[in-house]
Amino acid sequence: MHMEQPQKTLSNLSRLATGETACITGIHAPDDIRLRLQAMGLRTGRVARVIRRTRLGPMQIRVGSVDLIMRRRDAARVTITASQ
Amino acid sequence: MKRIAIVGMPNTGKSTFFNRLTGSSSRVGNWPGVTVELLGAHTILGGEAVEVVDLPGIYDLHGFSDDEQVVRSFLENNAVDQVVMILNASQLDHQLPLALQIHKLGMQPVLLVNMIDEADQLGIRIDAESLSASLNCPVVLISARNGTGMTAATDALLENMQSVTPVQPSELKAHLHADDEIVSHAELLVSQHVSSPSLLVRKMTERIDRVLLHPVLGLPLFFLAMFLVFQTVYTLGAPLQEAVAWLLELFRGWALDPLANVLPASVFGFLVNGLYDGVGTVASFVPVIILFFFLMAIVEDSGYLARAAYLTDALMARLGLDGRGFVMLLMGFGCNVPALMGTRVMRSRSLRLLSMLVIPFSLCSARLQVFIFITTALFTPKQAPYILFFMYLASFAAAFLTALVFGRRLKSDEPFVLELPPYRKPVLFQVLMRGWHEISHFLRRASTFIITGVILVWWLTHYPEGSTPGGAGTYASMMGDWMKPVLDPIGISSIMSVVLLIGFVAKEIVIGAIVAMTGLEGAALNSYMTTQMDGIQAISFMLFILLYTPCLSTLATQLGESRSWKFTGVSLAWSLGLAWVVSFCFYQGARALGY
Ligand SMILES: Nc1nc2c(ncn2[C@@H]2O[C@H](COP(=O)(O)OP(=O)(O)OP(=O)(O)O)[C@@H](O)[C@H]2O)c(=O)[nH]1
Ligand SMILES: [Mg+2]
Repeated sequence: MHMEQPQKTLSNLSRLATGETACITGIHAPDDIRLRLQAMGLRTGRVARVIRRTRLGPMQIRVGSVDLIMRRRDAARVTITASQ
Repeated sequence: MKRIAIVGMPNTGKSTFFNRLTGSSSRVGNWPGVTVELLGAHTILGGEAVEVVDLPGIYDLHGFSDDEQVVRSFLENNAVDQVVMILNASQLDHQLPLALQIHKLGMQPVLLVNMIDEADQLGIRIDAESLSASLNCPVVLISARNGTGMTAATDALLENMQSVTPVQPSELKAHLHADDEIVSHAELLVSQHVSSPSLLVRKMTERIDRVLLHPVLGLPLFFLAMFLVFQTVYTLGAPLQEAVAWLLELFRGWALDPLANVLPASVFGFLVNGLYDGVGTVASFVPVIILFFFLMAIVEDSGYLARAAYLTDALMARLGLDGRGFVMLLMGFGCNVPALMGTRVMRSRSLRLLSMLVIPFSLCSARLQVFIFITTALFTPKQAPYILFFMYLASFAAAFLTALVFGRRLKSDEPFVLELPPYRKPVLFQVLMRGWHEISHFLRRASTFIITGVILVWWLTHYPEGSTPGGAGTYASMMGDWMKPVLDPIGISSIMSVVLLIGFVAKEIVIGAIVAMTGLEGAALNSYMTTQMDGIQAISFMLFILLYTPCLSTLATQLGESRSWKFTGVSLAWSLGLAWVVSFCFYQGARALGY
């Protein structure tokens, strides 16, 4: 899948600004948390877009047809690479 | 009898489908994790009696949270003849992997692609026939809410049930196939059989969220909405309550009062002044509660709860809780018991325990009845709604303080990730169902501990023989004398101690107990209350009732869910102590300031 492409800017989901999109490359978390985040839609290769974020609170993220709210601390576990 | 199990991801409409199929009233709400417990019902399908089981939602079959554990252990311990899987039509890319997992376990499910009405509006087209052919299992497009496709769905169910062999209980996890393989298979299926616009826009939801999730206005709007809900409950509810009380009095004058000539005075006093008036006064609050639950059902069904979680998570994070905990506090406004059960969606035990420690402070509808009763008696109609709103704020404050105190011990690193559903129009039928549910709930409680409690209080306040009813010499007044040193400093008259004691069983009985104790009702009762307490004492009394202990069912649920006597004991001791300290500070503070 998308994994073979050379990874340009490696970053994580919590750094993404409102309106920006990126491609998910992986989740760095213990197994149970990783499986859960994947089952909720955060899968490698999917494109994520930040719908809204506030300075302190959680962020709203859209992956495919699913809208999620998640804390930045948890979003930081999701690595991304710039998507065109 | 054949058994059908309904599975699927959270918030896909499983309970809506279940209700439509069986005519039951499983609770429905636009929030992932409404159903956290099994619910079975019997119905006739194609001339044959079947048992249908509504299950909590699951994200995958790895099963970690307690509500998902319910599903897993059900499937592992019970033979199921037919699995029905409900999917959300606009999220097939997201939900098909679970369907494939279930299929690969050999369960031969019938796939019901639900909410087809929403998918249509979004411009999504699903080719059910070709999808069914490549999956090799029946696929039917339905709208459980509107009823479209229900006949086709039951036909498919019946036909499939002829051919499937019942799935025997098995260790589910052992059979799980590699996730990656399943996901790419699902992607392939979606690309072949589903056509959807490249960008899904839910215009309505986005427009509403721009306002309700506004970074600055969001929270103030939340509190405003809350205030309006309670204002409505009070302004519409108080006259309703009076109307029912009037009807009950009418009935009494017409049918019961003549009995005074027939029955001995003490029997009449017990039956009419004690039991009828006591239970009747409690019953007169039922319309207020129904009204309250109508409004709650509208809020729950709209999808706003998930927004409330978004808005409050930052604050809750500081307290060691999360946005879901806040939503459970809101659900607790209805009744603490389902709110406690709702914490099953949390996987970390310490987060669950901390949430279960704060939920009992949520001002449930039974406490609301008591507060409406007291505020109506002691405050002007203008003041009353503000006093009520103040009690809600106090309820939040107590919950937050508790979290602050215990948060350090019950730390967790559970991720906070929550699906944000689109706004949905509340269904009138659901809302009415909820009201009906509350009436039957009341009748069940009334027939058990409300009547028992009222009788007990009547006895305690009228015996031993020769004492002044409701006054000196009764068991209740002896009890009051013991409790005096505790109650005096917080401004509660010691005669109320028997009322507080009975309120431990259920808060509704508090009103019935006061009626049974005094033998008064209506306006006479209100003026009696003004002789018992002034405004400051009334608030102190209400603060105490709010905090001192949740009802018996709540405690039992705390024990059942935590499986820990120690936890339940700590929770009870803490709330008793907190109640006394808060009332003491409030009462003595207000008096010191000259009120
Ligand atoms: N538009 C639309 N909404 C639906 C349909 N079916 C259910 N809903 C709504 O979807 C929401 C979730 O319905 P539930 O029946 O509670 O879903 P559930 O799968 O039982 O949810 P959990 O018990 O939380 O797992 C409610 O707001 C329903 O009114 C449908 O066919 N169309
Ligand atoms: Mg349900």
